[in-house]
Amino acid sequence: MSTAEFNTLTSLEGELMSQRETAEIEMAARDISVWFGKRKVLEGVNIDFPKRSVTALIGPSGCGKSTFIRTLNRLHELIPGAALAGQVLYEGSDIYSRDVDPVQIRLKVGMVFQKPNPFPSMTIRGNVLSGLKLSGMKRDNHDDIVEKTLRSAGLWNEVKDRLNAAAGDLSGGQQQRLVIARALAVQPHVLLMDEPCSALDPASTLKIEETIRELSKEMTIIIVTHNMQQAVRVSDSTAFFLAAENEPGHVVEQGATTEIFGNPQDQRTLDYVNGRFG
Amino acid sequence: MSTVVFDSAALPELQQQKIQRPWRRKPAKLGWSIAIASIVPLVIVSAMFWSTNIPGAVLMTVVYLPLQLVASGVAAWATKGTRGILDSVIIVNAIGATLFAMMVLVSVLGSLFVRGWAALSAHFIYQNNVYISPSTPLDYGGIGHAILGTFLIVFIASLIAVPIGIATAIYITEVRGRAVPYVRFFVQAMSGVPSVVAGLFILTIVVATDAFSQSALAGGLAYAILMLPTVARTAEEVLKLVPEDLRTGALALGSTRSRTVLRVVIPAAKTGIVTAVILGIARVIGETAPLLLAAGNSDQTVLNPVGGPIAAIPTYIFNNVALPYPDAVARAWGSALVLIILVAVLFTLARIFGRGRIGK
Repeated sequence: MSTAEFNTLTSLEGELMSQRETAEIEMAARDISVWFGKRKVLEGVNIDFPKRSVTALIGPSGCGKSTFIRTLNRLHELIPGAALAGQVLYEGSDIYSRDVDPVQIRLKVGMVFQKPNPFPSMTIRGNVLSGLKLSGMKRDNHDDIVEKTLRSAGLWNEVKDRLNAAAGDLSGGQQQRLVIARALAVQPHVLLMDEPCSALDPASTLKIEETIRELSKEMTIIIVTHNMQQAVRVSDSTAFFLAAENEPGHVVEQGATTEIFGNPQDQRTLDYVNGRFG
Repeated sequence: MSTVVFDSAALPELQQQKIQRPWRRKPAKLGWSIAIASIVPLVIVSAMFWSTNIPGAVLMTVVYLPLQLVASGVAAWATKGTRGILDSVIIVNAIGATLFAMMVLVSVLGSLFVRGWAALSAHFIYQNNVYISPSTPLDYGGIGHAILGTFLIVFIASLIAVPIGIATAIYITEVRGRAVPYVRFFVQAMSGVPSVVAGLFILTIVVATDAFSQSALAGGLAYAILMLPTVARTAEEVLKLVPEDLRTGALALGSTRSRTVLRVVIPAAKTGIVTAVILGIARVIGETAPLLLAAGNSDQTVLNPVGGPIAAIPTYIFNNVALPYPDAVARAWGSALVLIILVAVLFTLARIFGRGRIGK
């Protein structure tokens, strides 16, 4: 074997190895602490998000779940007075390092918000394609993208005959599925969902949960939810956040969802998942 | 087994029920007391008006309003007791103030129509003032040159003030840079600039320095100074109304700041921005002083922005209304009517345009 051949082989091997490593962990939070002004709201959060898994973040209101999820796609920094310590690793590299463009991160890490926020000035079709236009991404066959993403979001059958209607005419549940389709159109690898079903009726909630299960075959999903049953239904692993009064929030317990709900190690987790507080 | 038996006998009775609004039932005495409370003060004041020389306006304010207040108070006391008195005082005051504001408006519009109508005709709209002296009968001449002049000057002012005004609003609401408090302060201060000062400013820095003469461009610059703060402040208010969700939503999709503003925020506020532009135009369209200084006057139709002095409707009114010729005064009133109609048309168009919805 010549030296050149050997070098090619080793580099190939290295590539394979690194691919296997990143295949396991897509995103990871390393010792994340967050401040608003001088007030520390989150302390020492360490969570790994395995590729193609659904992770649920649960915990009472005000414990920093939403704040945490916004650090994962660099929306956190838009709030005046926000500060952050620690690292967020995406495919092994820190998204907060100096040479990283937040726009590129947000293209890889999509987000669905608590309140449906379709763009009122655009049609249904325009909303689905808005991510492409806004990010300047060039992709062909827009019609295919519209159909595929709306199907993934479970909305296609309801809107296929009125793609040029105003997005604001849809019901709340439909709007939420529309913004999921919108987030999917830019083909993110990770999808953050901040209480996506809190404003929806049970039927729409069920549809979105089906969508989440379907999507998790292709991407990593991180979902904040106040609904315990929802966490059990959709997630593979769960992290339980808690904040004592006037103290920053932290992760009390994390692990496989079945463990957290079936056999929690911490008394507070047990109380919370059984609805005894929060 | 128990089933719910629907009592069919009750059905006709239900159907016979008439539509009622029990909360609207008035006490029996109310009708009479309102009638007396409205008629008595009117009769007294009318009697005073016909029998004395006191002017009507004085009678209305000094005699009628207090009398009406007392009468309503008594009527309320008769039907509802003492707690009704304050109610009636406030209601009478509110109705009185509304009627007063309406009367002023109707009076202004009414006098415009009455005095301006005589001058209106087709040629009044499209002819200009060349060969027309103040004593020429109304059969000849018109304000076509002044209408075009107003359009041209307002158009130039909009070209300057609208982009700068909207850019200022975007800086304040979207860029949110460090200078925001200062920018906002200056815009606020600018809205207090008297129009004659704007005219003087342009006169001294543009006309007096021979940069160019009195013209549509100079007039437009003076108008732009007055228009800018109105456009900027209104646009700022409407941009603030755009939900923050839309901005973060766009950014979360990998949008840059500029694309977020251009493709999401401004389209969402489109209606309001059109309103801002219309309010800016309405702010300046009747201003006379800046044009007297910066635009001058002309009897000819001038379409060149730098083609020397140009007429506009406000300056035309100013030049004609004080002349000792009835026809010139009639022309001034006619132009005032045309100006009001132009503004009304503009507002209506803006409403229709602003109502435009997306989708089919």
